[in-house]
Amino acid sequence: MSALRQYGALSRRSIVNTIRQPAAIVPALVFPLIFLALTAAALDRSTDLPGFPRVDSFLQFAVATTIVQGSLFGAIAAGADMAKDIEGGFFERLVASPVARTSILVGRLAGAATLGFTQAWIYLGITSLFGLEVEGGAVAMVLISLVSAVVGAGIGSLAVAFGLRTGSNEAVQGAFPLLFVLLFFSSAFFPRTLMEGWFAGVAGANPISHLIEGLRSLVITGLDAGELLNALAVAAGLLVLGIAAAAAALRGRLKAAHG
Amino acid sequence: MAGMSGTAAAPVLAQGLVRRFGDVVAVDGIDLEVREGEVFGFLGPNGAGKSTTVRMLTTLLRPTDGRAVVAGHDVVHEAAAVRRKIGVALQEAAIDPLMTGRELLRLQAILHGIDRPESRKREERLLDTVGLTAAADRRVGTYSGGMRRRLDLALALMHEPVVMFLDEPTTGLDPNSRLALWDEVRELNARGTTVFLTTQYMEEADRLAGRVAIIDEGRIVARGTPAELKARVGEPILRVLLPDGADPARAREILEGFGQDADGDGALAIHLKGGASRMGPVSRALDEAGVPVEGLELHQPTLDDVFHEATGRRLEGADEDQAEEAPRKGRRRGKA
Repeated sequence: MSALRQYGALSRRSIVNTIRQPAAIVPALVFPLIFLALTAAALDRSTDLPGFPRVDSFLQFAVATTIVQGSLFGAIAAGADMAKDIEGGFFERLVASPVARTSILVGRLAGAATLGFTQAWIYLGITSLFGLEVEGGAVAMVLISLVSAVVGAGIGSLAVAFGLRTGSNEAVQGAFPLLFVLLFFSSAFFPRTLMEGWFAGVAGANPISHLIEGLRSLVITGLDAGELLNALAVAAGLLVLGIAAAAAALRGRLKAAHG
Repeated sequence: MAGMSGTAAAPVLAQGLVRRFGDVVAVDGIDLEVREGEVFGFLGPNGAGKSTTVRMLTTLLRPTDGRAVVAGHDVVHEAAAVRRKIGVALQEAAIDPLMTGRELLRLQAILHGIDRPESRKREERLLDTVGLTAAADRRVGTYSGGMRRRLDLALALMHEPVVMFLDEPTTGLDPNSRLALWDEVRELNARGTTVFLTTQYMEEADRLAGRVAIIDEGRIVARGTPAELKARVGEPILRVLLPDGADPARAREILEGFGQDADGDGALAIHLKGGASRMGPVSRALDEAGVPVEGLELHQPTLDDVFHEATGRRLEGADEDQAEEAPRKGRRRGKA
């Protein structure tokens, strides 16, 4: 019971922290939308290319990218906040209290998951004003937001691991461009059916492609179990990997003091 | 460890505590015993090993060697039990600036497993104690340095700890905030909490602590009550200020009977045998001999003198302390 209250309290703190730092979170929220607006305007005709999936508009094709992009960028905040806790000494305060060690991670991850979930609805809401139709309907939208939450927690935990290792907010922010690389070398902005050569190989191997394609299928074709399972597998894989990395980093940091 | 079991009731007990960071020995085999209900001052310059010691005693850092028992539990093998019983206000109040004072107090209560009704009661009482009721719902980022320290104190008190560790609680505070915090430490102690206070300010240790250990380069160089320590350094210095036209030779003759000559920085001065209680007789003797006196100033040895005697150096930050006081004390220090 006490551990549950601790989880709840630290999760709430993490969410409140996010809301109270608009300068950190608004760009992560708005930037993917600007990107979407630009690509939707510039690349709309590309949907006529032979081999391009059947879509209403480039907006419908790309909204899944926007959602994943948002949860990737937003998750960086979890790592940055963890690093700030270390820099500011709050982490030490937590460690000096009889708090369950797991709640230090759970709090951050719950915050990142909530952010991912909320962002997905914000993007779906805004794009629907510009004519987006989600073929899978309300069920698909719920699934999309849940996957976005898992991705947020997964990438969030990787960022938290990095924050715990480095203890530096700047270092965490510095890792931000890596996410761009992951996105650009995927099928985020173009279908793999139209890719050729080494790029097609890289995009095919990039798990982000499968994540985005799974979410995209919910938007452009409806409920497709195969595609959805791919996306879920990537999101769950990220989460497992992230939690393992974050737990190891937390152990490492505590051991550095206690070793 | 037989030596430790004999005094197991001591809230803080350390034997041969060592902490190395690579080749650097930050704490070099210190023994400490803090008695129940006292304010124990741990005085030393920056980098002497104060914070490293506190971090070991509060389970944040594992000792390289030696052993410590805090609130009846071993800091290494029973760290969780220690954490439940201690309050810790670390250097540079580590407080989340985005949260309000009240939110942080509530979080602290949850982290310590205090139920909601009890948490609310303590929250109001603590806010009142540290004078932050009006600012409770403001974000900590808007607090002054003194307010942050006071909140930090309240946070550390939320679970009613047996031993309170205050690591340099007033470093960086303005004189008024420092005095206010001292009052709070006194009140806290008056309610029965044992306080382990580290400080680089000799005046702080002198005013607050019943007993003091002075640490330098990882070793304890002196320990005792402030009065004992100062007495070890020597007699206080009495400066006799004469008006124009008075006969200094006659005055000197009288003073010879009360102690040896001292450097009075331009004034007549002696090391006054028997301390302050002998000031009356000196005054009377001068009066009876017809030597007019403009003033008598007694300068007690300070803990800084104790530190100087033990290490040959002055405490860092002591100058800052002195600057806030009368310049005469600075001259006294200059000579010692």
